[in-house]
Amino acid sequence: MGRPRGFDEDEAVRAAVGLFGRQSFAGTSVDDLVSHLGVHRGSLYKTFGSKRGLYLAALRQHVDRDVAAAAEVFAATTGIDAAVHRIATAGPDLGLLLLALVERAPVDPEVAVETSRALARLRDARADLDQALGLLLRTRAIGPAPEFVGE
Amino acid sequence: MAHVRIEGGDLIVEIEGLNKVWALKSRITVPLTNVRGATVDPGIMGEPKGVRSPGTHMPGVIVAGTFHSGGERIFWDVRDARKAIVIQLEDEQYARLVLEVDDPHAAVDLIEHAL
Repeated sequence: MGRPRGFDEDEAVRAAVGLFGRQSFAGTSVDDLVSHLGVHRGSLYKTFGSKRGLYLAALRQHVDRDVAAAAEVFAATTGIDAAVHRIATAGPDLGLLLLALVERAPVDPEVAVETSRALARLRDARADLDQALGLLLRTRAIGPAPEFVGE
Repeated sequence: MAHVRIEGGDLIVEIEGLNKVWALKSRITVPLTNVRGATVDPGIMGEPKGVRSPGTHMPGVIVAGTFHSGGERIFWDVRDARKAIVIQLEDEQYARLVLEVDDPHAAVDLIEHAL
């Protein structure tokens, strides 16, 4: 591919996971990416082709790392509330997956492939995934349920 | 202002209006296999443009023509930064095209979905 180096690609993608996971795809400008990733605009385009190219790289990394880690928490924790509470307080942050499901999966088939991969992975760990996703969304919006705080 | 369309496996960019004169190029054809992606990027107007080859640069007003920056050739045709898109190429004369289009989101979707 003849990719330029001079920056840590893995680290830049990691930072993009955080940014897209907080601000969404549409809400993250190239200016945001350039200032948070420590990558020049030219290198960003040369390496990833487009903002969407970087987004797909970030989503793939997110599924392989964060979603895989969340699946482990799900598998290791019995109660659904306790599992969601653990993820909400100790991570991994699933912000990118949650936003991707709503914002990009319905309009971008390549994103849908990744979110389906993520859901399959989580469902393997947890049969009551849909309920867990609902709780994750609510927790993201209003914080962890009070009955679990300080657990 | 530029118009972009996809035709038979090629991306075709047509420059219209006065910019056409300043940019000294009215049509750019690139096989889709050499297109890496497209992005809505209003902020790119704030970047250093590099050294100008034939074309015109009236700072703050219009950027049109071929620029050399960091060993790359970049084609610019932008007057209104809010409508700027960036098309990244490979194995082409230009490393990327920075264009003003009527509907940036539609143009970017058209290109990204064709890849």
